[in-house]
Amino acid sequence: MSGTHVTTPGADFRERSASAVGDPQLQRALHNMDRRLRTAAQAAAAHPDWKARAAAVRRETLRDLDGWLDKLEAALVARGVVVHRAEDPAAARAVVLGIARRIDARTVVKSKSMATEEIELGAALEAAGMRSVETDLGEYIVQLAGERPSHMITPAIHKTLPQIRDVLAREAGTELPVDREALTEWARERLRTEFLRADLGITGVNFAAADTGTIVLVTNEGNGRYCTTWPRVHIAMMPIEKVIPRLADVATLLPLLTSHATGQALSNYVTMLTGPRREGEFDGPDELHVVFLDHRRRALLGTRYEEMLACIRCGACLNVCPVYRNVSGHAYDAVYSGPMGKVLTPLLSGHAQGADLPYGSTLCHACSDACPVQIPLADMILDLRTEVPERHETRTALWDAWARVWSSPRGYRLTTALARMTGLAGGHVPGAGRWTRTRALPVPARESFRARWGKEHR
Amino acid sequence: MIGAFVEGLRANDCEVTGPVAVEDARRLLVRYARGTVALNADVPIAGLADDLDDVLLPDAPDWRARLPDAAIGITGARIAVVDPPTIALAAAPGSPRATSLIPPVHVCVVPVGDVVPTLGDALARLTAEELPSALTWIGGPSRTGDLEMILTLGVHGPRRVEVVLIAPD
Repeated sequence: MSGTHVTTPGADFRERSASAVGDPQLQRALHNMDRRLRTAAQAAAAHPDWKARAAAVRRETLRDLDGWLDKLEAALVARGVVVHRAEDPAAARAVVLGIARRIDARTVVKSKSMATEEIELGAALEAAGMRSVETDLGEYIVQLAGERPSHMITPAIHKTLPQIRDVLAREAGTELPVDREALTEWARERLRTEFLRADLGITGVNFAAADTGTIVLVTNEGNGRYCTTWPRVHIAMMPIEKVIPRLADVATLLPLLTSHATGQALSNYVTMLTGPRREGEFDGPDELHVVFLDHRRRALLGTRYEEMLACIRCGACLNVCPVYRNVSGHAYDAVYSGPMGKVLTPLLSGHAQGADLPYGSTLCHACSDACPVQIPLADMILDLRTEVPERHETRTALWDAWARVWSSPRGYRLTTALARMTGLAGGHVPGAGRWTRTRALPVPARESFRARWGKEHR
Repeated sequence: MIGAFVEGLRANDCEVTGPVAVEDARRLLVRYARGTVALNADVPIAGLADDLDDVLLPDAPDWRARLPDAAIGITGARIAVVDPPTIALAAAPGSPRATSLIPPVHVCVVPVGDVVPTLGDALARLTAEELPSALTWIGGPSRTGDLEMILTLGVHGPRRVEVVLIAPD
């Protein structure tokens, strides 16, 4: 059921963005973001001092990430949790598939998790002959549509209600009305049968406290609760930066995460798991596994991108981004989208993927301002441009020529006089490709400042 | 403080009753009960199971098979927070996690004395002793914003959450 994502082969971010802007259905769906943006901004403003506290906690973690991970591992193991360390996506998939095969899992229920998207776990489970069912409503819709989430908090943000109805009706094999309640009710019934028969529940991790060995999960629908309550085995996929020093830190981090994500003071459900089901308990998993996923994260420690590991995946930078708000997630052609995706996609792929993403930015710094843990996203986007410089020979030649000519007063006077005479300025420089297509040369004043000064101070 | 707690829960779409005396809470729940009622051991009303006609207790041999057909799940809170407004349930033998998840209506009994001002206060109290295998914090009925970002209640968890506050003796 886990689908492949359809994008135009060979198209880059600019081309995909252009087609997103030209898609009227998508543009209609994206209008809904305005409301979210307002409520989230209001909620976020309620606790101005929390940003600095949260940023401090995240940086404290990063200063000794390995130390905190060792402490977390010890605490988890002491509570009967099995900890696995995975260097890369292949290793993480192997751990999950190994467990799933051992318990002979047929149906796997998944709660929304960017980490499992990152390692393409759904497809791996399907390829191994298991049913992998996404259970977050938005994620279920994109899975049925054979797509990829377009927003990390609201995966089906790119779809209008009639489009959602079409996707669900195709799966139902019956008519369904374009009605929020009715569609939700249908999905509730359908997914309930999956929950009740699932052998394995897979979730991500929002925070993992090193002092108590507690896994913290944040959800609104209750699907995350099902995945950690009913199946006999639960696997939590945890990118290594999710560790926090103390459970008490969630008193700051949780309200900050949910207010920036959805404008809620706290998400509807917060689940804190400390070990598997205990002696005498009637539900909860017999086995709880936590997979520490590295995937090039440790390599960022000590670099100028280290702070990216402070990210708590709230989606605030997507919601405020003028680029994201116009094109939405699929244009990025990656698991992570928006400003944080522009930074994370090149870094997690060793610059093999999304190298052009940092160039598709206005550098307006709205993302840096919105970030609840104060990650300088816009600065990182700019820095990433120097990692993989965009190559365009005509443009480079034009810049070089311009630099040479304007290095001498004669060259400067000659070219500006020429521009005034020919009227070339104000238009586009021919032959420099896309870069000049969206940029016009400034219109020169009828008379230069030097000439005017000369006249008035004669 | 209790006023703010009640107001916060209502803003999250909870129904709130009380604070009432324990005996009033018992009468209220018996009158409210319909269909099969799944009951957790953490409900601070002694002998409530005997007062209910069709009760499903976690130690029933067919509990797992019958719970999906229960109409109501009744639980007791371990602790509750005013800001952000939320109630916490602790998993324990006799008090499984699913009672507040699978039935379409969840009734949670909260003694007023267990309401604390902040999440930090609650965590400080909870971490002073052994944490339960699962601590579930609930703000209100299950909800989603996945359909055009408009709030819809009752996705996977209960559509209705009723909080009954118990006054101190």
